[in-house]
Amino acid sequence: MSMDKPMQEAFAMFYGMAQNLKDLATPVEMPDEERVSRAKQAFLSKLDADMAVDLETCINCGMCAEACHFYIGTEDPKYTPIRKLDLMKRVYRRDLSPMRWLHRLYTKDITAKELEDWQELVYDSCTVCGRCSLMCPMGIHIAEMVAVNRQVLAEAGLIPDELRVMQEGQLEKGTIFEAGPELLEFRINDLKERLGIDIPINKPGSDIMVLTSGLDIHLFYDALAGTAKVLNHLGVSWALCTHGYEAANFGLLSGDEDTQHVATMKIIDTAIECGVKIVITPECGHSFPSLRWEGAEIYGKPLPFDVMSISEYLGRQVMDGKLKLKKAAEKKVVALHDPCKIGRWGGTFEEPRAIIDALGLELHETESNREYNFCCGGGAGVFLINRAAPLRQKAYEVKMGEIKDTGAESLVVSCGSCRMNFETGKIKSNDTIPVDSLVALVAENLAS
Amino acid sequence: MRKDQTLGEVLRQQGVSRRGFLKFCAATASMMALSPAMVPQIARALENARRPSVIWLSFQECTGCTESLTRSHTPTVEGLIFDVISLDYHHTLQAASGTHAEEAREQAMEENRGKYLLVVDGSIPVGNPGYSTIAGISNLEMLKETAAGAAAIVSVGSCAAFGGIPHANPNPTGAVGVSELITDKPIINVSGCPPIPAVITGVLAQYLTFGKIPELDHLGRPVAFYGKNIHDRCYRRPFYERGQFAETFDDEGARKGWCLYKLGCKGPITYNACAVTKWNDGVSFPIQSGHGCLGCSEPNFWDLGGFYKPLAQATMTTGTVIAGAAAAGAALGAGAALLGRSRQKKFRKEVSEESKS
Amino acid sequence: MTLLDFARGPALQWSIIIFAVGTLIRLFGAAFMLRNKVLSKPRKSDWVRGGFRTILTRTLPAPVFEKRIRFQHYAGYIWHIGFFITLLFFQLHILFFKGLFGISWPGLPNDVIMVTGAITAAVLVALLVRRMTNPVLRIISTIDDYISWLVTLAPIITGMMAYAHMGFRYETMLAIHLLSVAVLLVWIPFGKLIHIFLVFPSRYQQGAKFERRGVRA
Repeated sequence: MSMDKPMQEAFAMFYGMAQNLKDLATPVEMPDEERVSRAKQAFLSKLDADMAVDLETCINCGMCAEACHFYIGTEDPKYTPIRKLDLMKRVYRRDLSPMRWLHRLYTKDITAKELEDWQELVYDSCTVCGRCSLMCPMGIHIAEMVAVNRQVLAEAGLIPDELRVMQEGQLEKGTIFEAGPELLEFRINDLKERLGIDIPINKPGSDIMVLTSGLDIHLFYDALAGTAKVLNHLGVSWALCTHGYEAANFGLLSGDEDTQHVATMKIIDTAIECGVKIVITPECGHSFPSLRWEGAEIYGKPLPFDVMSISEYLGRQVMDGKLKLKKAAEKKVVALHDPCKIGRWGGTFEEPRAIIDALGLELHETESNREYNFCCGGGAGVFLINRAAPLRQKAYEVKMGEIKDTGAESLVVSCGSCRMNFETGKIKSNDTIPVDSLVALVAENLAS
Repeated sequence: MRKDQTLGEVLRQQGVSRRGFLKFCAATASMMALSPAMVPQIARALENARRPSVIWLSFQECTGCTESLTRSHTPTVEGLIFDVISLDYHHTLQAASGTHAEEAREQAMEENRGKYLLVVDGSIPVGNPGYSTIAGISNLEMLKETAAGAAAIVSVGSCAAFGGIPHANPNPTGAVGVSELITDKPIINVSGCPPIPAVITGVLAQYLTFGKIPELDHLGRPVAFYGKNIHDRCYRRPFYERGQFAETFDDEGARKGWCLYKLGCKGPITYNACAVTKWNDGVSFPIQSGHGCLGCSEPNFWDLGGFYKPLAQATMTTGTVIAGAAAAGAALGAGAALLGRSRQKKFRKEVSEESKS
Repeated sequence: MTLLDFARGPALQWSIIIFAVGTLIRLFGAAFMLRNKVLSKPRKSDWVRGGFRTILTRTLPAPVFEKRIRFQHYAGYIWHIGFFITLLFFQLHILFFKGLFGISWPGLPNDVIMVTGAITAAVLVALLVRRMTNPVLRIISTIDDYISWLVTLAPIITGMMAYAHMGFRYETMLAIHLLSVAVLLVWIPFGKLIHIFLVFPSRYQQGAKFERRGVRA
């Protein structure tokens, strides 16, 4: 359901909190030479054969810009995606390429100033949405390499303040937005009392472990509540485990590898400890690929459990006939947003559509949908970067343009970060289309 | 024939009518692209021409150029003209031999010092002058000696002009053409292997008439005969344009008289009069007979990759070379990959050591 | 040695050698570096096919992309296809390859090739103008882009001039054309033209990476 009054108040509070993150940041002092040498060391240790082939293959066609919502929204060529890889290209060419002996003669070395300038390109103006990768006629995986650039800038002490605060907090406390075990307990009790929803905690012998996020605990509790309600309805054995319930990974988002490692291992250790077969990530974009597609590298071997996003899990249940939903009385026209990390990076497209179909809603696809969808504009933690607000708004307008063209009465989305960006974007643009959580919709329309 | 008779007197003696003589002068004028108004001047010059002394030196040659020249020796006016220049020394045509022949040469040089025309055929070996000698004198020495008193030099044939077949790779005798050795006398290169008979006589006739060197191209050849290339005057050119080529000798295209480019014809880069003047008094020329032009009037025509190697093909590169290069590349590439990998390992090790510390 | 002898002989010889050796060094040197391991379980076991499929499908952009890159996309294909038609179906080029590899194939009429060559050259010029005026291209272009453009256009122009007997005398024009080909060959290992070969592994990699996640790239 779209935001009710309590949620709107929580939203305002949450938004205010996000705005002030910057003030909590402690500055990172690092001399220029150290920045450069750490950055180069990071580049050179992360570059591999795939990246080398990609960097060698670029023909400077510039088509990637035409796929990027930040370029499309601003028409500023400095946001051209491949340009974000310029420092990486140059380090590769000078120090690792088979032709390095030649390239050195005319390829400039990177400077600390450039690394600082690249912060905007790699964080503010890139949600690592991946659309540029799909556009590239040479098949260069631009977005994947931008993510590597985040890791490099992190080594060089150039994580944007807001993300660094989140990362340091998660490293220290294992949670985000101060959503520790006490707040979790508060929310669980609140849902029980207010909505009558049971959330099993630390139940031994569970098949499924559900993750949640500080964002849902604070704000989008409808997603948490909805998840619990549906799983209870399905009668599957599941639990939330207090040793590791935070799905978000600000190590991944900031580029700090240590934090990424710690946060991921916390989930993996907990899942193994609880002996579950399936781990379900919440309505949170990056948390799915973070565990499903990057967890094994951190663990060192394939994970001993399956990983699904909640939209994938519920969609499968619907497709297998195990979850019956109430069809809407009148056919309402809805639009669907495929969150980049769950769709293009995650591989989940048909499951949410199966749910919408089962709900009897009429889906009008946006012109760019499934793996070609436009990003909401706020992914990869960009939502939290204050100075990126104007950029995000431009990206939002590109996306919202397509949504409006569908004539939809409401927008369905299965990602809290996307919901945040849509809600704030709506306020700034005076748009009114309601934004619904997919899980909440399912929970509201369970057929008995 | 008396030496002091004019050409006109000799011709009348031989029974050549005035009309016949004028016809020859007109033909010569036309062949040299001179205006008809020049005909009286040509007639007057030739009529009054004293028999100039011509000394013909034959070096490393096959005598083909002389053979070609003598093919114009028929009961025509051209043949008679050669009776009336004083051909004071020519190995093949002279009657004398041995010391008498050499004495005749030396006497002619003495009597006509500064005025005689030196004609050379054959190349001159400078690698070891002993490769070719006449009466114990090396070609090199004889050339220098004889050139010193000449008014002008005509290098007949590609050997004298550019070194010809002896000059071809690996040039064991160190053969060179005349203009590489003599730089202080005017030289006309009448190249070809051999040159067309009428071209030889035409050049000599022009020199006789005007007493000066005709307009020469950058290789010293008379522009009148060597100014256009075979390709531009070849009657098979339309087939080239239409892309109709003979692929092998005696295939359908060959029998239909299609272009011979693919069979190695060097027409496009060869400058000569063959396509216009032809051979055997205008009967045919190589392309018309079904064989590509060899490029015989061009320098180094023996070393253009082969008579059957088309111009559009590389002369040195074969499949073997490419395979070898590919193999070398693969090996070096593997080496580059190993170097790159060890470099990567070094970088990764540095990072992991640093993070442990 | 005349210019033509040099062009047909040592110039082509060494440029082909440098091309073969340089290209293989660059290809192997990049493609066989250490590769970061992917340990997650793929959605489907036959994701390798996805990589090969992407090599083909990336040729045609998705409709939502195509409408934004229309001119560049079609112009790019027109000149690439025109270039390969001119290179592979002109009789005298086929003759050239026969000299190297011993195989030949049917060609197209000379006039068709001249028209194709002219269109190719015109489109290349238009794309250069675009590169110099379009804001995105201006900010990302390097000297490599301009050199690559020049060494690609030169053989087309000089070839047409040699064939039509324009410009210098044929022996000189043919030599210049062959030398321009030699320059092109020598440049391939060192500039962006290496994409001729690398486009295949590059598309494959991305296709395989997305396919293992269940996404058709």
